[in-house]
Amino acid sequence: MVSDRERVAHVVRRLSMGPHPDLVGGLADPDHAISTALQLTGSSPVPPTLPAPASRKAAAPADILPLIGWWVDQMASSPRLIEERLVWFWSDHFATSLRKVGVAYLMRQQHATIRQHATKSYADLLHAVAKDPAMLVFLDGITNRVGNVNENFGRECMELFTMGRDQGYTQADVVAASESFSGWIVNIPGLPVSARLAAFGIAPWTAAFLDQRHDESVKTLLGHHGDFDLDQALDVILGNPATPKFVATKLYRELVGLNPSAATAASLASSFGHDYQILPLVEAITADPAFTSDDAVRVRVRTPVEKLVGVLQAANADLSVEPRAAVAVNALRQVDYVPFLPPNVGGFPSGTLLLGPHDLVGAFDLLDPLVAPPPAAKDVPALLARFGLFDVSSGTRHVLDAEPDPARRFALAATCPEYTVA
Amino acid sequence: MSDPLSRRDFLRRAGGGAAALVASGYVLRTWERAAPAAADVATPAAGTLPSIPGRTLVVLELSGGNDGLNTLVPHADPAYHQLRPTLGVTEPIDLDGQVGLHPSLTRLAARYHAGQVAVVEGLGYTPPDLSHFGSLEVWWTAQRPDGSPGWLGSYLDATVGYEDPLAAIGLGGQPAPALLGQQSFATTIDDASGLQPRPPRWTGSTDTLVSSWSGFAPARIDTRPLVGQVERAVSLTAKARDRLDQVLSPSAAPTPRSQAGGAYTASTVVDSLTLAAQLIKSPLAPRVVYVNGVGDFDVHEGEAQRQPALLSDVDQGIEALFTGLGSAADGVVLMTTSEFGRRVAENGSGTDHGTANVHFLVGPHVKGGRYGEPPSLTQLDANGNLVPSIDFRSHLATGLGWLGVTDTHPVLGASFSPVPALT
Repeated sequence: MVSDRERVAHVVRRLSMGPHPDLVGGLADPDHAISTALQLTGSSPVPPTLPAPASRKAAAPADILPLIGWWVDQMASSPRLIEERLVWFWSDHFATSLRKVGVAYLMRQQHATIRQHATKSYADLLHAVAKDPAMLVFLDGITNRVGNVNENFGRECMELFTMGRDQGYTQADVVAASESFSGWIVNIPGLPVSARLAAFGIAPWTAAFLDQRHDESVKTLLGHHGDFDLDQALDVILGNPATPKFVATKLYRELVGLNPSAATAASLASSFGHDYQILPLVEAITADPAFTSDDAVRVRVRTPVEKLVGVLQAANADLSVEPRAAVAVNALRQVDYVPFLPPNVGGFPSGTLLLGPHDLVGAFDLLDPLVAPPPAAKDVPALLARFGLFDVSSGTRHVLDAEPDPARRFALAATCPEYTVA
Repeated sequence: MSDPLSRRDFLRRAGGGAAALVASGYVLRTWERAAPAAADVATPAAGTLPSIPGRTLVVLELSGGNDGLNTLVPHADPAYHQLRPTLGVTEPIDLDGQVGLHPSLTRLAARYHAGQVAVVEGLGYTPPDLSHFGSLEVWWTAQRPDGSPGWLGSYLDATVGYEDPLAAIGLGGQPAPALLGQQSFATTIDDASGLQPRPPRWTGSTDTLVSSWSGFAPARIDTRPLVGQVERAVSLTAKARDRLDQVLSPSAAPTPRSQAGGAYTASTVVDSLTLAAQLIKSPLAPRVVYVNGVGDFDVHEGEAQRQPALLSDVDQGIEALFTGLGSAADGVVLMTTSEFGRRVAENGSGTDHGTANVHFLVGPHVKGGRYGEPPSLTQLDANGNLVPSIDFRSHLATGLGWLGVTDTHPVLGASFSPVPALT
């Protein structure tokens, strides 16, 4: 049986990126927690700018560090809780990796684009990401041209970003979509063609459409015929009923941690497919009784990024002080879970894949950005509350009670089984 | 209640492929006729399968889909040069007048000529799945029904169970779903630092801290809720850490934390297989070492630049493994896997997702030579892909055979005869 406080904490950790201990104490009940977490007070934070490198070769991947530090700090401190959850969700959804893109400046531009749309329209977000320079480099849109159609973005778009695997498209549809997407390039400074593109008004590091590279043929995409371009093809895909179902179900699983019933999935898909508005979809998901049910509590495995955010919140610390961001990134690197560096286009691992020894031991490293021991809590329940934990097993309680040193007790709370799940 | 986001659910989504295979009625050739696949296979209890002490299977997964046609090059086939006008390998290391290895694979070629490398051609499955994730699930689960564990996870279930968390070690950083069993536990490590946490100084002695932490594993574990799974994992992790610490030297510490740009560098095959040799020679004596997530073989573009570097890493890595093993190499077979090969025709500067592929078996007990059937370059499927000739599970059966599994039914869900390439 889940206690009232635990259920409130559950709502907060699912609709945000951390336990938010200073907030949870003031929330009366789960409904209050939901309405608070979904409020978009103030304005959306704008990511810090990064220097535009002179060429792809001159780009320093480590330039990404301040942006990662800033992002994790937003997760911990932005009052717009659901926005941070959704920015993370869409970033993992599109799973663009700096490892291939190579240019932190472009990753920052994409991050700003995802932030801009994160709570609004998924259709707008998809259209924007499809023309985003980092994505065009990541999934080879820039080499996709008439006569040399590259299927990378076309396939992953249908499989991972819209319809879902085995959901009614064929290899012929992948080819038709890829042909429709052809013709986009990025002006990459340092390449011989860059100056010429600039003369045409295509600024460095921006994307553009060149119709001589576009496949203008009439295509058959998901049963529709036309000489589709990128936007038109995306609209065809967005109009397929598989798309709202796949995306809404994926978000449901992220927030609830369970699979929706067939009826719930159909109803969410139907309203989401109507206008692709994200926040109303979140509201509908949180209104499903399953969201606050006992079954949903602690059925997800807490990701390393969430663990880090929780540690920072528990200790009232942030990453703005040098070199904490670098230390935090190194800790995340130990478990291969660094923002902007997902292992592949499928995104970061999740679920029980995150319960291996490497991840469990890696949780200790996530304490390292804390340069000094955190302030001692008055007792064990107060300490656990800092991590958003209210119901713990007698075994966990015993280990914490047996540890006399408050600093070490903090380290054990940050690695206990209940904190490992979410 | 089970974790809905768990591996099992993840694997369940592979279902369409397996069902469709049955419906197609088309069965690929294995070395002998395969028994019909059982609809559901109960996990055999630990200790039910035999094992041969002193043997290790090293699996090297080439993540992203390695281009087999540019790895083992059919240079005598005119169709190859027509289909690969710009990306075709012009100077392969000839093996037999018909095929040759990519010029980056010099050390592997030398081993081939020394009779220690088998190339297995035409490996695949039907119907093909051109999705990375769909095809990975087929390979990881040995194309078994929804919810099946990984193929080596099933092997661990039926042999060591929870007894030894270091019987299978994953290297490369990403957990390997092929190692996930239902009644067993595998350990993945990133580098030679093993499972050494590095908490801040204010936490005092790390050994004491971890010792207190291991108290989170109660004597009787409730396996039902997710928290119970964590408790079991804590217990096995503490056990694995102690034993790894005795083997890995503290001097093998990873990159200093100040070099946070290191977040960008991924492990290489050389790093992982060098460490593999060290672990295999140690008293840990793992049965399985699984390397994945090293290198991005998904060469949709820039293949002419990217693949040589990737294959060179593989070539040096395999050399590092067997050199590092010394006389211990006698107990080791390395096999490669990859979710698929690549499209026969090039797309400009790269190749898109394909189907059938060539894989390697390497070791002193390998009978060198060519196995399988090279797929036709002219009779392609409707999508322009190679038609596989050998069921990929024969390849898995070869690896299992090395570990002493003679009947693969309990592990792969059906009996597959191995490629007859091991002595």
